[in-house]
Amino acid sequence: MTTLLVLLLLAIGVYLLAVLENWIANGRFQLTAPAYSAIALLGRESVIPRKPDLLFFEVGPVLLLIAALLAAAVIPLSPDLIIADLATGALFLNAALAYILVALIMAGWGPNGAYAMIGGWRFLGQLVAYAMLIVMPITAVAMRAESLVTTDIVFSQAGLWNIVYQPLGFALFFIAAMGLAFLPPFDLPTAKGELAGGVEAEYSGVRLAIFRLGRMVLIITLAGATATFYLGGWQGPLLPDWIWSAIKIMLVTAAMLMVGKYVPRIRETHLLAWCWKFGIPLALLNIFIVGILIVVIP
Amino acid sequence: MSMLQQYGTLFGLIIGVIGFVLSLFVITRLLGKARQEPGKDVPATGGQLSRDPVWVRYHARYYGYALLFLAFDMEMAYMYPWAVVYKQVGLTALLDMGVFLLILFLGLLYGWSQGAFRRQ
Repeated sequence: MTTLLVLLLLAIGVYLLAVLENWIANGRFQLTAPAYSAIALLGRESVIPRKPDLLFFEVGPVLLLIAALLAAAVIPLSPDLIIADLATGALFLNAALAYILVALIMAGWGPNGAYAMIGGWRFLGQLVAYAMLIVMPITAVAMRAESLVTTDIVFSQAGLWNIVYQPLGFALFFIAAMGLAFLPPFDLPTAKGELAGGVEAEYSGVRLAIFRLGRMVLIITLAGATATFYLGGWQGPLLPDWIWSAIKIMLVTAAMLMVGKYVPRIRETHLLAWCWKFGIPLALLNIFIVGILIVVIP
Repeated sequence: MSMLQQYGTLFGLIIGVIGFVLSLFVITRLLGKARQEPGKDVPATGGQLSRDPVWVRYHARYYGYALLFLAFDMEMAYMYPWAVVYKQVGLTALLDMGVFLLILFLGLLYGWSQGAFRRQ
């Protein structure tokens, strides 16, 4: 029952995200546009390119959706509104999100097209850049909460949200989350206008619809993870707790989309260099600062 | 909910997604059949088949980073259990992990000085 309720809320969130993305990209607020484009995608033919690796081609988009949904399963919308409150929640999130890479490599390799291939391999380089900046800030969050359970992590922020307690970790996690969801400044695997859609290039019709759905679930999941780890999850005055979660998730999503509107696409070389030369030393510094803070102010 | 039930739910989620995708495929099949036309299945390379084969060996120009990434990724496997017990153990834990991280960080600095952080 809870599962179905969370999935329903997730579906509403995905729809709102689609409206929001359209609004920010085209400047038009159209509530019905995502529904029409979904119907249009289902009505179109789904071409299979010649001589594909059919297994990889078919599994890629589905695996993207599965990985994003499994990661969403450990995001709490309220103490009870969570699909699986695992004892290793924060670690499970990482494990599920690792399959995003696999899905994109499959989608890149499968269709036997040059642009898709480049997009897929590019994302492998992007993983090397962002992955450490996802896991290291989560470590600092777990240190404060003394637990990997996502609901415990939210309870640990009752007095002070983590965005105030460890702002450095928040900044790094936010940027890395955008890299993981390949949102505009980091949209290297899809790169519109450069790779003709990259990993999306050979997909059309229903398969493209599944790919896009998976990507949107991924964005909502990462916004949910940001809200859970840094913005106090469901905590807030007056309103019911799940509404607070929803508000925070949508605000984080809007922030992620707005950043992409104003920042030019980054080069993979620069992304790798900046993440390793500045990001990882800063992430280690963040762990050290949080370690000192926990000992000094328990 | 017991642990087993939770993993059961997660497994059900995977099955559910596969079922959802298959039902979408069935719906699109019911909407009508596409006509077979020559040249439709050419990959997006300007309307022509690419001159060279696509599945070739790819130069991973980030391999310097990738090697360091392996070291750091292994380290993270130790960091999670450490993070959970950190508050109980206190400052000793910070020093213990500090030495470990310092060695890794020196490795990162050494790699940097040797030009690992460059497009190869």
